[in-house]
Amino acid sequence: MNRHALITEKKGAGPEKSDQKAPPSPAPSPSAPITTLDSGLARIYTHLHPLLVLSLFFFRFQATVEDPVTTLTNGLAPLGILQIIYVVLCLPATGSSTPSSAAKPTPKPSRGKKTQAGKGDGGVAGRTVPAMLSHLLTTLLATPLLTIILILFGAPVTSKLWETLLCAAHMSALAIMPLVYVHGVDEGRWWEVASLMSPVDEVFGAAIGTMVGAWAGAVPIPLDWDREWQKWPVTIVTGAYMGWAVGKLLGGTLLRGKRIDLG
Amino acid sequence: MDDGVQTEYTGIAAEFAKARAERDKEEAKGLRDSSVNAKAFNKQKEIEFSASHALLIAFFCLLLFLQLLGVYLFASGFLLTRLVLDHKSKCDVPPVPLDQSTSLSTSEHGCWHPKTFDRAVIILIDALRYDFTVPYLSSDPHHYHNTLKILHEISVQQPNNAFLLPFIADPPTTTLQRLKALTTGTLPTFIDAGSNFAGTAIDEDNLIAQLLNASKTVVHLGDDTWHSLFPGYFDANLTKPYDSFNVWDLHTVDNGVSKHIFPLLDPKNSSKWDVIIGHYLGVDHAGHRYGPDHPAMTAKLEQMDDVFRRLIATVDDDTLLVILGDHGMDSKGDHGGESDDEVEAALWMYSKKGIFGRSDPSFVEPPRTAKERPVAQIDLVPTLALLLGLPIPFNNLGKPIEEAFIGSSGKNYENVARVHRLAAAQIHRYMNEYKQVRGLDSGAFGGADSMWDKATSTWATLGSLKSVVSKPWTDIAKEFGEYQRQTLQTCRDLWARFDLISMLHGVEILLASLIALIVYGCAIDGDTTELSPLLVARGFIGTAAGAAVGSALAFSVSTLPAIHTTVYCTAVGGLIGIGSAYWYARRRLTVPLPKSLWSWTAVTLTLLLSIGFASNSYTIWEDQTLLVFVATFGILMLASSIGQQSLTNRALGCYHSVLFIILTRAASFSRLCREEQMPHCRSSYYASASSSTSAVWTLLIPFALSFLLPSIVKSYYDTTQSYQGSAVLWIGSAFRIGLVLTAMFWSLDAADDNDWLDMNKDTLKTIKTFVAQTVLAIAFAAGHSLFGYASPFLNIRTNSSDDSNPTDEAIASDSGSSAISIQGYNNVHGTRYFILLTIWGLGIILLQKPLGGGVIGILVWQILCLLEIIAANPSLRSTAVGPIVLALLGSYHFFKTGHAATFSSIQWDTAFIPLKTVRYPWSPIVIVLNSLGAQILCAIAVPLTQLWKVPPRKQGLMGSVTRAMTQHFLFYAVIGLATTLWAGHLRRHLMLYRVFMPRFLMATVVGAVVQVVGIFVGIGGLRWTFLSVGEVFGWT
Repeated sequence: MNRHALITEKKGAGPEKSDQKAPPSPAPSPSAPITTLDSGLARIYTHLHPLLVLSLFFFRFQATVEDPVTTLTNGLAPLGILQIIYVVLCLPATGSSTPSSAAKPTPKPSRGKKTQAGKGDGGVAGRTVPAMLSHLLTTLLATPLLTIILILFGAPVTSKLWETLLCAAHMSALAIMPLVYVHGVDEGRWWEVASLMSPVDEVFGAAIGTMVGAWAGAVPIPLDWDREWQKWPVTIVTGAYMGWAVGKLLGGTLLRGKRIDLG
Repeated sequence: MDDGVQTEYTGIAAEFAKARAERDKEEAKGLRDSSVNAKAFNKQKEIEFSASHALLIAFFCLLLFLQLLGVYLFASGFLLTRLVLDHKSKCDVPPVPLDQSTSLSTSEHGCWHPKTFDRAVIILIDALRYDFTVPYLSSDPHHYHNTLKILHEISVQQPNNAFLLPFIADPPTTTLQRLKALTTGTLPTFIDAGSNFAGTAIDEDNLIAQLLNASKTVVHLGDDTWHSLFPGYFDANLTKPYDSFNVWDLHTVDNGVSKHIFPLLDPKNSSKWDVIIGHYLGVDHAGHRYGPDHPAMTAKLEQMDDVFRRLIATVDDDTLLVILGDHGMDSKGDHGGESDDEVEAALWMYSKKGIFGRSDPSFVEPPRTAKERPVAQIDLVPTLALLLGLPIPFNNLGKPIEEAFIGSSGKNYENVARVHRLAAAQIHRYMNEYKQVRGLDSGAFGGADSMWDKATSTWATLGSLKSVVSKPWTDIAKEFGEYQRQTLQTCRDLWARFDLISMLHGVEILLASLIALIVYGCAIDGDTTELSPLLVARGFIGTAAGAAVGSALAFSVSTLPAIHTTVYCTAVGGLIGIGSAYWYARRRLTVPLPKSLWSWTAVTLTLLLSIGFASNSYTIWEDQTLLVFVATFGILMLASSIGQQSLTNRALGCYHSVLFIILTRAASFSRLCREEQMPHCRSSYYASASSSTSAVWTLLIPFALSFLLPSIVKSYYDTTQSYQGSAVLWIGSAFRIGLVLTAMFWSLDAADDNDWLDMNKDTLKTIKTFVAQTVLAIAFAAGHSLFGYASPFLNIRTNSSDDSNPTDEAIASDSGSSAISIQGYNNVHGTRYFILLTIWGLGIILLQKPLGGGVIGILVWQILCLLEIIAANPSLRSTAVGPIVLALLGSYHFFKTGHAATFSSIQWDTAFIPLKTVRYPWSPIVIVLNSLGAQILCAIAVPLTQLWKVPPRKQGLMGSVTRAMTQHFLFYAVIGLATTLWAGHLRRHLMLYRVFMPRFLMATVVGAVVQVVGIFVGIGGLRWTFLSVGEVFGWT
């Protein structure tokens, strides 16, 4: 029924005739990839960061296998702090609707953002608050969403709910939090992200990498190797971390500026 | 309700009307009265269409035929074959010279060995699992425990009169194969498994033939499978066969056997027979119908217990009583495979003579589990033969059972050694014959042959030994026993020997056919149907030429079997013909590489699935893999929908993508775990893990379905105002009535199961089958005639210009004041063709268990979602996403309708939904519709990916449907080739028979069925759609 309610527009008619464009839909003007801050520290830390995060994860891998719930819970805070440090040091904050950006009035997102970010003004301290807010927003909104997606992909419903929830929390801290930090509530950019049309940069690349990695993380689960680490959700989290690092690296370098073409 | 709904047609309409106003006006008039010219043009177009349609079907059939040739070649090398020797053992020709003392080579005293019994009563309890017969000592026993006590009781109380042992079957554990093994003593080979539906006579030497030779009267009671194996062998007057396949009937066979067996055991009738074979089916049927852990099983085993007690009381002193199971049953009561529960049957022998013994006093207590002291089922053959004084059947590979020959003292090793020697000698004679016929060198049996030499030399020393005490009888028995063991092992390996040349040729043909399909489905530029005449002509000429050359070669130079050469050359000829047609049209070919992310995803996921079949884990967990794959497509389609510029498309696409994903996950709650998935999986398809009945609550599902499904379909028709004309009649009435009747059927069935109704069972059954047949008549008879004759679902209205409903299709306006509008214009093809899906959907829903019916309902809804997603994402239409998602969905819902890639998951009992007895060809068709219902439905849905919401006069529709159908076939062909390759490659793998071979067979059957359905129902159904649409709108 809500299907009907949703339809307010005349529909384009199949391949040939989609001549009608919805007025409120965001303009398809190509947005540019995110550029990391132009400071020496940013350039170094952006490459150091994945190493730190991965070593933190693999340092606790054994414990994760033995007791996923406790270890993943304990791991959330360090991951959050590292991610906050990363976005504060390396990424340009979103220009709108966060308290800090009210202090430094920014014109429109994306394009204008980049130049401002390039200058690197705002200060580390000023960017910490939006970073923390992003983290909070992500944990509250993206974690439940990712949990639902994990369940839709076949995660158990009646058991291991905490494991699934924590898996989603780690994934959202890795993938979504930097996106929130750089895009804020910019509807257009989020539309691009959700439809996978955003230009690839290290933030979007890392997000895609996390998802693909988590997907691939499911591959070893059915194998009859009888290893402890095959249990839910260890492989998914591991895949997400590794996919995140690879995606971030490729997104920031080789694939930068490319677009996923679903059309 | 849909006045506010706007769909794509208005856009087309505007353009249509503007650009071709004049012609449209004519057309609109033409609906009522068309000119002669247009009629002639349309007639010609119609004939052209019919011709190209027929050619298309011919080409698809050719491709299917070529693939089947490949499968045949592979299977003939892969499915094990054993050369059947028709030699017969003769009473006066013992395999070794007999001792003076025992040389009684006459049937008077026993042929090769002094006989112990003249008469025997052999009671076969189908699916008598070993653990049914021994006490269960732990807490919480199941329904089948501690019920059948008599066998264990007597064995312990009277060890000299009886013994009970685990009786291990060689897979496949189907009754027909078991009966062959139990009478011939040889190993079954796999290819026989398929003949369970129609058994064929045994032409090998066997116990029954030997009994007949010895002029014994054999009486058979019960399961009529025996009569297809041994036609004319049994005493015509006393024998009472019963239909064996009606698994829903627990009592007719058993009561019949009991009714006739006890009068025969009466002393005054004892001269009428020598051997009685009674075959009880109730335990097996209780297992199939309810699963072992069900009160019905307790009742059945109690009944058997009572029968055995009466048998023991009535059988006379000189008669041997044997009670045995031919196989076990798995935790759901099914069998056919090689899991422990399926192969572990029980054997019990009883005689009042007191001649049985144990070599160790502790053996008096029967083994606690079937893992201790088991005997093989083929061991029964030499044992019975020697006990009854018959020659051991020529092909026997079993060894005598120690307990039956060791004497009541448990020390008569001389007798044991003698019977072992006889059995081993017969095996030796058989192996020599086999080697000669097969032209094998003696090296093939190296180990066994040296054991034979050793044993015979030990035997030769006997003559020189004077003292009786020191004679090495135990050694002799052991050595001959070891010879038997080694030979059996060698035979297992030998008959597991694959014909690599056949397999390789089969794979070559399959690979080449796959390439032909890939080129046809992905590499041709433009309308593929234009190439049909060329492809068909060259393909058929090539096939014919290949067949001619092949048969010529077969009878001249080829060293391969004639049929092999002919088949291979035919296939090669056909493929060369098609290849030359491609070469001729090479300018129209492109490189079939994926071009977009969509194609890449489709190709990658298909390949990933195929690669996964190389691992038993991914084969076992295929259902979960498919869930992830389908969900992946769902997420990608959601992302793509979000990216749509048009708000309508975006909203429609998102809504249906989300619904699609949720429905996928909802269906996943219906699960049937295969044994290997335990303990990480919980079945929900049946009432419990050890049951094969549906839970009572699932009865709600068919009722909900009859309420919801027609309305859901209607709502999709409504979006284009296509709920018109005969669609209302069909979907609103007939389809719904059919679903209500289905719900009634399952209610009656549950009432029958749980004895809710105080009603004669026969009457109830008659009503049930009548209801089911009515549903099938509605679906296939009424549905197809409606599909054949219906006009497109359109409604023509003349609107005044101030019509309040602006959504109507304004096709032609005569003046400013009124317009002719056609409702349903925008989805003419789609809605017209979709009727076919509801027809088959209704039939398939009836033939599933209630939960499975619900899953099929979800599948129909998902197909509708997918069609809307494709309509909302214009770029999706031309990609392989639609056909591949449908293939994934079909495979996924195969598992969700309570099936798995195992033999035991075949729901044989569904054959009795519309029929009371087995009838050919209907019963196998019902089984196929039940097993492959999901794939069949998805194959029928493939043309819809190109037809749903496209303008009626769109160019080249037939070509794009053909392409989509080919891509759909490609998915199954790739899976088929992959499973073939893996099964061939892993032919020595431990899991071959449990995992890889069933998956290979399943892929082959699914591929063939999907192609047959896709060609004849899918492509075939287009004929009526296009003709009826063409009649209204004219041809393009």
